Amino acid sequence: MTASPQLIAIENVTKRYITSSGPVEALHEVSLAVGEGEFCTLIGPSGCGKSTLLGMLGGLVTPDSGRVLVDGRPVTGPDPRRVATVFQDAGLFPWRTTLENVEFGLELQGVRAERRRGVATELLGPLGLRGFAGKYPRELSGGMKQRVAIGRALAIDTKILLMDEPFGALDEQTRLLMGEWLLDIWRRTKKTVIFVTHSLQEALLLSTRIAVMTARPGRIKSVLELGMDYPRLMESPGLVALRAKLWSEIREESLRAMGGHL
Amino acid sequence: MTVLVRLALLAAVLALWEVAGRAANPLMAVPPSAVLPALRELLLLRSYPDLPASLLLTLREIALAYGLAVAAGLACGFALGMNRLVGRVYGPMLAALYAVPAVVWYPSLMLFFGLDAASKIAFGFLLGFFPVTLAVLAGIRQVNPQLVTVARAYGAGPVRVFASVMVPAMLFTLIGGLRTGLALSVIGVIVGEILGSKRGMGALINHAYGLLRTADYVALVLVTLVLIVGSDALASLVERRAKRWTD
Repeated sequence: MTASPQLIAIENVTKRYITSSGPVEALHEVSLAVGEGEFCTLIGPSGCGKSTLLGMLGGLVTPDSGRVLVDGRPVTGPDPRRVATVFQDAGLFPWRTTLENVEFGLELQGVRAERRRGVATELLGPLGLRGFAGKYPRELSGGMKQRVAIGRALAIDTKILLMDEPFGALDEQTRLLMGEWLLDIWRRTKKTVIFVTHSLQEALLLSTRIAVMTARPGRIKSVLELGMDYPRLMESPGLVALRAKLWSEIREESLRAMGGHL
Repeated sequence: MTVLVRLALLAAVLALWEVAGRAANPLMAVPPSAVLPALRELLLLRSYPDLPASLLLTLREIALAYGLAVAAGLACGFALGMNRLVGRVYGPMLAALYAVPAVVWYPSLMLFFGLDAASKIAFGFLLGFFPVTLAVLAGIRQVNPQLVTVARAYGAGPVRVFASVMVPAMLFTLIGGLRTGLALSVIGVIVGEILGSKRGMGALINHAYGLLRTADYVALVLVTLVLIVGSDALASLVERRAKRWTD
């Protein structure tokens, strides 16, 4: 994994937001490189700038300084030919059916109706949404909605998949199953995934690498390499040890984010 | 079932009207049995031969007033809604103006536009304009900003964001406003005609009423009612379509 070429390079990016109570530094000189085919997870306390970092990769947020390179080219705006994003609460269009939501990105790219219908229909099987093509988002469960959102991202077939706490709103059982399902998709499509989560377990079960971020202003505190094969078991000695290590790092930052006391 | 109850209610009202109408002063109230012949005379163009011309004029005034109200309302609403500063400055003024009973403007509209169609169109426009504008403003506030972000992430420019996200997301609210606007434009035109005009449905109503031809007056009101109910039924049909489509 480490030998693969660097697909994503984040170089010394800093981002400040102006809020009503003054400027807030969300990211401070963050650097991170991600190779092709990796499943890289960003984890850290709330407000550490994980989503901001993901927004920069997706071209929705511009860094104040530093730069973000994808495939060697600086990111200047959303580039749906290289990067697809899955957002935290699905963000499906309520007036579009499952199929129409999955087709959305292709539609924007001007793909012919017939072809994009074909692509979307083919995706419904692996998404576990066969038979739900004509349903509207309000008729779907939370897990299904999130799968439609993932389908919308997969449909435009980009090298890079950005996922901002995609399963954060789901109950734990659904979340575990969705993780297994995503792992399967990732291994079949060989996409590069940047995944934001709050869940240690999710990070440990899915990632090839975990980048721990510090409390605000966000920095990369440490990067853990996970060499284990999939599917992983939380009970395996390697993961148990890693979990303890990961937790001690995150615990420190979460405490800092809370101002030192619970 | 609802139809039966409705018919029963209608029959009861008509019966009550008949009884009360016969008892009352015939100059002030007429029973249905007197209205029906008057309605027949009216529809056969015997009592008011210029009924078709008047109906057409009123319809033309309504169409123009409403068309202008929709165009100006959409333009004004989007201009105010898309720009936060402009919206914050002018939004409250607009709402305050809307709260003024619009009929107070009518005398000055007559002064500006004269007694002919123009002042009726202006009044119908004035009444229809506000609900359309305010519906656009409310609709824009309703759009989930996350959906705009999603569209941008998938490569949508401003035009696509507008067409593929904003418009569908606000459609239901927008159509509600368009429906209210239509009802008010119709009212504006007819009230305008009643308050002062020589032609149109309102003028006919005024004529019959002024000459105490009460049966003709009621018959004319019934014809006008069909016009109003018909236009609203059409609008409500469109609204229901849109509701099934959105959310």
